[in-house]
Amino acid sequence: MIRNGIRRVFDLALRRRDRWEREVEDEITLHLALRAEQLAAAGMSADDARQEAVRRFGPLLESRTKMLDAAHHRETRMQRTEFLADARQDLAFALRTLGRQKAWTAITIATLALGIGATTAVFSVVSTMLLHPLPFPDASRIVYISQQPTSGNNTGVSVSIMPGASAIRDWMKSSRELEDMQATRTRQLDLKTTTGDPSSVRATAVLPTFAAFAGERPLLGRMFTDNDIRAGGHVVLLGEAFWRERLGSDKRVLGQIMTLGDSSYMVVGVMPASLRVGAAGTRPTDVWLPFDLRDDKMAGQVIARLRRGASKASAVHELDEISKRAPRVGASSVGDLPFRAVVTTPAEEVRFRDSLLLLTAAVGLVLLVACVNVAHLLLARSATRRREMAVRAALGAGSGRLFRQLLTESLLLSGAGAVVGIGAGWLGLRAMIALRPSSHDELKAAHLDATTVGLAIAVAVVSGLIFGVLGAMQSSRSSAHDTLKSGALSASAGRSHRRARAVLVVSEMALSAMLVVGAALVVRSLSSLQHTNLGFDPRGLYAIDLGGRARTLSPAARTLALDELAERIRQLPGVRAVTTARAAPGSRWFSVGRFEIEGEPPPPKTAMSFTDVLYVHTNYFSTMGISLREGAGFHDTTGSAREVIVNEGFARKHWKPGEAIGHRVRIADSDSINGSDSTPWWTIVGVANDAMTTGPLTESSAPFLYMAVDSSRRAQTILARAEGGAAALKAATDIGRQLGVGPIAIDGTEAFLSRSLSGPRFVTMIMSVFGALGLLLAAVGLFGVMSYTVTQQTREIGIRVALGASSARVVKSVLVRGAALAVTGAIVGLVIAGWGTKLIQTQLHGIERLDPVSFALGAIVLVGAALVACVVPARRALAVDPMTAIRAE
Amino acid sequence: MSRLPVLKGTLDLLVLRAVTWSPMHGFEIVSWLERAAGGSLDVDDSALYQAVYRLEERGLLAAEWGVTENNRRARYYKLTPAGRTHLRSETKSWMQYAETVTTILTAPPPVPDASATR
Repeated sequence: MIRNGIRRVFDLALRRRDRWEREVEDEITLHLALRAEQLAAAGMSADDARQEAVRRFGPLLESRTKMLDAAHHRETRMQRTEFLADARQDLAFALRTLGRQKAWTAITIATLALGIGATTAVFSVVSTMLLHPLPFPDASRIVYISQQPTSGNNTGVSVSIMPGASAIRDWMKSSRELEDMQATRTRQLDLKTTTGDPSSVRATAVLPTFAAFAGERPLLGRMFTDNDIRAGGHVVLLGEAFWRERLGSDKRVLGQIMTLGDSSYMVVGVMPASLRVGAAGTRPTDVWLPFDLRDDKMAGQVIARLRRGASKASAVHELDEISKRAPRVGASSVGDLPFRAVVTTPAEEVRFRDSLLLLTAAVGLVLLVACVNVAHLLLARSATRRREMAVRAALGAGSGRLFRQLLTESLLLSGAGAVVGIGAGWLGLRAMIALRPSSHDELKAAHLDATTVGLAIAVAVVSGLIFGVLGAMQSSRSSAHDTLKSGALSASAGRSHRRARAVLVVSEMALSAMLVVGAALVVRSLSSLQHTNLGFDPRGLYAIDLGGRARTLSPAARTLALDELAERIRQLPGVRAVTTARAAPGSRWFSVGRFEIEGEPPPPKTAMSFTDVLYVHTNYFSTMGISLREGAGFHDTTGSAREVIVNEGFARKHWKPGEAIGHRVRIADSDSINGSDSTPWWTIVGVANDAMTTGPLTESSAPFLYMAVDSSRRAQTILARAEGGAAALKAATDIGRQLGVGPIAIDGTEAFLSRSLSGPRFVTMIMSVFGALGLLLAAVGLFGVMSYTVTQQTREIGIRVALGASSARVVKSVLVRGAALAVTGAIVGLVIAGWGTKLIQTQLHGIERLDPVSFALGAIVLVGAALVACVVPARRALAVDPMTAIRAE
Repeated sequence: MSRLPVLKGTLDLLVLRAVTWSPMHGFEIVSWLERAAGGSLDVDDSALYQAVYRLEERGLLAAEWGVTENNRRARYYKLTPAGRTHLRSETKSWMQYAETVTTILTAPPPVPDASATR
């Protein structure tokens, strides 16, 4: 009766009946019942006793709420304590177990760390160079705009042109797809110094709005304005680094005048180092000058920000439409566009992009091999721990508890792997920066960023969870009873286990086969590049350029000085040959116009092309070591004779050997879109073998015209072949100063060629490391599988030895199984690699995509490593003592 | 007979004292207090439970479900080691306090101090 009454009262407040709520209620109910009984025993009537009990209890609802609160607190605290205690216990247990298996733990952590470290290092580089190349706000909408000739480009490389001021003005005025457009122009200028020798500074011309576009403000002073430009634009802002290093952070610099090139500028401000036009790590701008868009002779690199929602394609379309509408001098008809707009993202402009993507793919494979290997190691371990798990389950450990424990262990492992891995990644990144290709200084700015580190930790934790679950599932699949009863692995469980591990080891082999083949391909490609017959002899060849002092001379005086310097250098001891030319190896000069061959149908009127033209001295060919295949060189070097020597690749495309001489070619002026046919023809007087003067990465079957230097085609550079290397040319510096054309610059062609291969060399180096890593990991995996197999078959081997099997047979059985796994993996890997090479084709030079040597090498190295990995297990099999083995059960 | 209200803070001490010898459930604690005080203490039963819960939360009491002599499920409280220490020190300071208060309350009226007037 009492109980029911009380219940009803409680029920008013009772909504959720959690355990502790029930307990509180029970406690109160019992109390009231006992009190009522006590009072009844003292002589009260049942009803009175009940009422008195409730009265004595006091404010029922209120105290009940308080008790519930307290109970609730207690419960949560207990749960937390329990959880923490469990976690601590799990952790201690995991540490103990892992500590007992030191070698296993070390290998697992090292494997994870290698995978994570390699990934972190490469992703940091990718993130810096590809994902965040430019420091502007709304970076995802920043694009570069350049132009390409609509038709005709004979150079074999893609040529893009900086848009001219008039085009930029038109675009700025009419574009809707681009919300902000900037024009910049960077060049080297001579800064007049107090010592008299001009010093070269990097000057970038920008619009007054550039600082706002980049989200920066001057550190000191002000940005220049449209008024400054209207007033002649003789104002300059200094770059922070230049200001600090060259001017010692002197604030009095504002208002001072500096002479750059031929003009004077007043310093109006200092820009922070974070304002850049290039990627981080590239050479910073020393001085910022105003870009005068009103000047039609100006052209600049265009950086713009796409309107939200606009695409590159829509921008290209719009820009071309704007250009078509604009009135152009000399256009034959509306709609003819000599140049097409090209819109690229900063990441696409990264020359190293393909190489980085290759490295990313490779590091992905390394990470995969590492993960498979860890799965492998955990699987191996879970097999040996089945009995332990079964015993613990039988002793009453709940499956949830066991699961948590395995999870703790896995997370501990992956956590350690992540920590060591991030350390390894940091070291790897340092190494990559140290070994960076000289052409890619922006790599210097690469750092481990939060995203990359977060990614590494995520990979580690996820892999820990997956492998933890895998291990748990493996150990809980068979019931404790069965496992204990059978004493060891049952035959069928053993078989499925072995199959799983075989699959893992085969996939590891396949992955590392891909890595090894990839590494072999880039190694062979680099070696082929290094051994390319360049068509000229770079050994001991140096280019000598006149210094800043010479820039004040008239063209004729310069040529005189150049010839004089060349003559004096020729007389230096050790110098074997000297010549002069328009440009040194490494740079190209193009003539723009329609390239025509006499007697062949002319290209369309609008076709512009870029043709390599080099003005050379008659002894250029002998000095460079370029041989003339046909003809005997220039007969008449006055220029009026209009003689030209062409390259062999071009000649072969058009004429049979021996027939090129006497044919005529010409480059019609770019203005001749109107149809001027008065451009003179040039007669071919010789055919020179193809010389890859810009390095082995350039192709050369396009026309390359050599014309003799004369008063309208001047040489700018001296080329000298010196026996003693640069030391022989040391005296040239003094001669240059004496002649008033110092300080001269001496650049070795061999060094230049080596620099031109620094990118491929870098990729090759890292790919080789990755190949080796993959191979090592796969070998460790195979070693694990074979050791396990031998251990499992100890009894069988023992019986076979007892029955008279020779040791050779025992070893053979182990090796055959190992080789079978390796060969299967290798075949799978080579097939996938064969397909994958399509993706890296652009990176391969001088070798076939399916280069048989690389593939054979990959297979041999892989199987070789596999056999080495089997040696220890085979020896262990040999050491099996039949008596012990058979008695072991 | 007038019943004394329990001084603030002393109920905890009394509850701890109740379970010094053996675990008790809530009603047993109440009954013991009533018996020990000779019926001169005014305690709401609910206040007592709140005290018990508070002590449990502070880790001075530990609780466990058990069965009464009449086979009813009841929550039994016992003193934890921390509770025992607490009881000891609190008892001591209570005694000192009570003694001091008693001494003061029963002190003779002040007399002029001869030395002070010298």
